[in-house]
Amino acid sequence: MVLETALLVGLLFGIAIYLLLQTSFVRILFGIVLLSNAVNLFLLGMSGSPDGKAPPITSGEKIPLVDPLPQALILTAIVIGFGITAYFVVLLYRLFLDQKTTNAAEMFHDREGDK
Amino acid sequence: MNTVILPFFLPLLTATLLLLLPPGKPRRWLAAFSAFAQLVVAIAFVVACSGGERWVLGVGAWMPPLGIALVIDLLAAIMLFLSSAMAFGCILFGYAELPSKLDHPLRLPLWQFLVAGINLSFITGDLFNLFVAFEIMLISSYALLTLEANDRDIKHAYPYLAINLVGSALFLLTTGVVYSIFGTLNYAEISQRAAAMPGDSNVTLVALLLFFVFAIKAGVFPFYYWLPNSYPTLATPLGAFFAGMLTKVGVYVLLRMFGTVLPHDLHGVHNLMAWLAGATMIFGVLGAISRPFIRGILSWHILSQIGYMVLAIGLFTPFAIAACILYIIHHIIVKGTLFLIGGAASYRLKSGDDLKNMGGLFRAEPLLAACFLLQAFSLGGVPPLSGFWGKYIIFVEGMKAGEYVLVGAAVLAGIMTLFSMLKIWNGAFWPALPVNAPVQRQPNYRLMLAIIGVYTALSIAIALGSGEVLKLSITAAETALDQAGYIEAVLGLQGKGAGY
Repeated sequence: MVLETALLVGLLFGIAIYLLLQTSFVRILFGIVLLSNAVNLFLLGMSGSPDGKAPPITSGEKIPLVDPLPQALILTAIVIGFGITAYFVVLLYRLFLDQKTTNAAEMFHDREGDK
Repeated sequence: MNTVILPFFLPLLTATLLLLLPPGKPRRWLAAFSAFAQLVVAIAFVVACSGGERWVLGVGAWMPPLGIALVIDLLAAIMLFLSSAMAFGCILFGYAELPSKLDHPLRLPLWQFLVAGINLSFITGDLFNLFVAFEIMLISSYALLTLEANDRDIKHAYPYLAINLVGSALFLLTTGVVYSIFGTLNYAEISQRAAAMPGDSNVTLVALLLFFVFAIKAGVFPFYYWLPNSYPTLATPLGAFFAGMLTKVGVYVLLRMFGTVLPHDLHGVHNLMAWLAGATMIFGVLGAISRPFIRGILSWHILSQIGYMVLAIGLFTPFAIAACILYIIHHIIVKGTLFLIGGAASYRLKSGDDLKNMGGLFRAEPLLAACFLLQAFSLGGVPPLSGFWGKYIIFVEGMKAGEYVLVGAAVLAGIMTLFSMLKIWNGAFWPALPVNAPVQRQPNYRLMLAIIGVYTALSIAIALGSGEVLKLSITAAETALDQAGYIEAVLGLQGKGAGY
């Protein structure tokens, strides 16, 4: 279970970094969405293998529970990530309306626009 | 004591209340009053911690290591003072800039959220809580960066956003790694457990990850490119506040992590920090020389100054850490003032801040010119102004450590800083005004000048009282480096009730 998660996290990181290195702002956006999901999955892996452990909500039984803290962290991170993604999409739309392009190379083409 | 939460709670409460009030005058009064109250609270904490005391609160009566601990020591209190002093002055500067009808309704509430995030990252004693504090701060800064930006400049928000999001993802990842290695996120407990595993390469891994995360936030070479293009798009008072505070939060966290949390014998990581800091100084100042407009020059200078601070942390002697704190105190005030002066100058000439179109300010506004000269020389490190003392101690500590190349780079960066400041002087202040250039005074120009004057006076006071400020910095450094005392204060809370 841990190995599969690790492989998936590695795959997601790879795709995310590939997308982040593109010039299209839309792809960078997708890259960041993937990156935050990869990190959330990585955090989930921190609670170790869930085999033979009970979910942390059960009561009374004397069996080892899954560590609930990473799940609480992920929950917070998902909420923050959702808000930021929403903002990011709106910013991208605004940029598209202003500049008629979502390509970084075209958008930053004019050198006097360095300001 | 419960008062420990005030530096976070006051701006948060103010932000919420501001949203309920009608825009315009009422919001302005509330924001100014609250900023003043925050300043008073911060000064009270500096006084209360000046002997090296720590104020600890287990939030919601959850005792550390279980809940979130908030800790204010002298270093945190000094940072709180600087952030609230900058916020107060810059908010007032914003009032002088525009009539209250033209205020963007969201600027003041978002600014208070920003201050709340900054203050929380100073006082928190928990790594995940630090992540949340950074997110509060960054989300407000994203919004402020695009709130009043024009169609041409708004694109610079995108790289800022993208690189900070990657930084945040890396931060979250680091939190996960720390939790899996140490089994805790509480600073005191991490410190305790890291000390119990000497020579373990996992500790070095965590140190490297933490360094890279906060190097991105602080703008250390090679992670700085997002900064100098995005800051000039901000309105003057916001630009001054961002320039003064935001990257310094990164430097503060580096101080906290390497001083208080991680073991002190990570020489390899410290060396890496010092060399990257040297590169930051040189590249930052070269960028500054190449820019043709005031706020561009100043933004690049932030990087070069960050280099000095990180170099001081990299040298990692108690005296160098004290010099770093002294340098932060000087830098935040001087850099903020210079941004405000640049803004005031461009309002005065109605020309924007492109140096080609400026001139004549020395004759027209001698007071502004005097403030600029003082602060510019201070930034360059001319003795006996406030920038000199921090630099001097960093040079001495660098020589003692045998890092002659780095000290040489620091001296070179200092000289080039003066050169680029002369560029502003020769462009905006000294030459005659271009013919037919429109000149006007803002209606509230006097208030602007008064705020700039107060900050300049503050930086002169630091220079004149540098002995006292240095003593304060040394106490702050000693408290921050005293890991045993920190662990005792936080984890010993259990026996002492809700807080002390």
